[in-house]
Amino acid sequence: MPKKYHIPVRQVPPRFKAVGKGTVLDWGEGCLRCTRCVKETCPYEAFRNRTFDDRSLTDTIDSLCKNCFRCVQGCPRELITKAMNPEYNLLGDSYWTKEIITTTWYQAETGRIPVSGAGYGGPFKGPGFDSIWTDMSEIVRPTRDGIHGREYISTTVDLGRKPLFLAFNAAGELTMPVFPLVEIPLPVLLTEPDIGVNKSKVRLIMAQAAQILETFAIIPREGLTSALLPLAQHLMPQYSPGSLNLDDPVLGSVRIIELWDHANITADIDRLKGRWPNLLVSIALPATGQATERCEALAGAGAEILHLKADNHAQGFAEARDKHLKDLIREVHLRLVKAVLRDAVTLVASGGIAMAEHVAKAILCGVDCVAVDLPILLALECRLCSHCQEGDDCPVDLGGIHERRGSQRLVNLMGAWNNQLLEVLGAMGLREVRRLRGEVGRAMFAEDLEREIFAPLFKAPPGSETLERDPN
Amino acid sequence: MKPKPEVVVLACTQAVPQPSALRQALQEVGLSGHIIQEPCSSKVEAFHLLRILAKGADLVWVVGCPEQYCQLAEGSTRMGFRVAHAQSYLAELGLETARLGFSRVAAGNPEGLAAVAAEIQQRRKDLPPNPARPRPAA
Repeated sequence: MPKKYHIPVRQVPPRFKAVGKGTVLDWGEGCLRCTRCVKETCPYEAFRNRTFDDRSLTDTIDSLCKNCFRCVQGCPRELITKAMNPEYNLLGDSYWTKEIITTTWYQAETGRIPVSGAGYGGPFKGPGFDSIWTDMSEIVRPTRDGIHGREYISTTVDLGRKPLFLAFNAAGELTMPVFPLVEIPLPVLLTEPDIGVNKSKVRLIMAQAAQILETFAIIPREGLTSALLPLAQHLMPQYSPGSLNLDDPVLGSVRIIELWDHANITADIDRLKGRWPNLLVSIALPATGQATERCEALAGAGAEILHLKADNHAQGFAEARDKHLKDLIREVHLRLVKAVLRDAVTLVASGGIAMAEHVAKAILCGVDCVAVDLPILLALECRLCSHCQEGDDCPVDLGGIHERRGSQRLVNLMGAWNNQLLEVLGAMGLREVRRLRGEVGRAMFAEDLEREIFAPLFKAPPGSETLERDPN
Repeated sequence: MKPKPEVVVLACTQAVPQPSALRQALQEVGLSGHIIQEPCSSKVEAFHLLRILAKGADLVWVVGCPEQYCQLAEGSTRMGFRVAHAQSYLAELGLETARLGFSRVAAGNPEGLAAVAAEIQQRRKDLPPNPARPRPAA
């Protein structure tokens, strides 16, 4: 029996008190002095454990309270009230919502799947990834069979180029070169976020987490210091156009590198392969309007890995700025399918991958694996306040985190994501994540459904140019 | 890290929906205060005020709504009582009661915010440094 992939999660409490959703307004005036006060019967002992946080100059009850409202309902004089915490309301933006930020903190702290337990009160559908509904028809006996069901669910994916056929000579020997291929047990790569302070510490944390998770951390070549070299087997140095030097000693110790796309990239790769034939090369390209053609051309020219990069809100760039990453992935995937190149090349997408479900949905749209960026910072307690971009101090002292603590929080987050991926795969009746790639038959797209249902209703009757309103 | 702010303002989110407006008003009178938003000024309790002073702030100020506009009916009134209560602790300790203060201002009133900032600045000017402030190492 092969070794089961296991992510070692361990509770790592945050250094700073998480921003609480609600806050307690406690009107002590008028208290009846009951012998058994609701503050003493708080199931979470929030009133007993509340202190004062010296760094944020606030009361810690907001982080301790779990919003069960027992105190609010129980006080005979109704002296306790709950209100929304204004600081919580200010968290994040339209895409990186406060719910995403706080659930990411929870997952990084505990390594567990976030469960709200009070039903889903959100909208039926939304933009982007929220317009995809996955098939959950295969959920059977979850309490008895557990997360894997009766069989092991594999989350392993391959990075590299695959031959579309094999050629043998009369003696039965392979007559074609074998392409290098790397397997990762989790369809997630870690890529450096474009914001944040103390990048050298963040890179070290990413590299350590990549080693534990057996995946790769994409780090700019100039940021690859001697402290990271022992972890080189799990690093993917990224080279900007023109910066590739074949004598770079790093090339001898890494398994994959990433090059930014440019006009002469195939010549660069040929030179590189001449010197380092077993080195895998990923090509990073921005998700612009030309990305689909470019991906087809690169795949046809022998590219091994294509990394499609969208912005932090999962939108494309330039003429594709109004397109969501999921649509861009589908375009590229279908174009490669049409060109009979899809199985030859590995497709990676990044930008706006904010939740575990985005991993499954991006793969479902057609990528082999995803690369995450901002969730790495969220795992390190970042609040996406963008103070660092304005040259201000980081309110959570991102650089001050110990690397072991930081890498464990990142491992916890990926552990929680992996479990959610297993849940989705199990519910779809898939036994490995490779089978999910491009499997749109196991999902429904809200836009397609709306078109199918509503378009015929508003179709003009035969023989008339437009619909005419009855004057009566 | 930044030096500790000398003035900490606890502002009701109903009275000051945009903390940046208050920050700007404070900057205009030459103060860089730390603003903490509260869902209601009555959220502020005596121990919050005293603990902030114990951390070395020279002046702690609470901004609430005018009493007749308070969304929680009595919140702003209670805030006044609590600041007075905390001031009585300060008097007992032998510290200046003027280190705590409050204002009531209606939302969407830039002149009101400017007046609050001027009042804070005047009060700050009259106060000696907080004896609880950690002294820089010689």
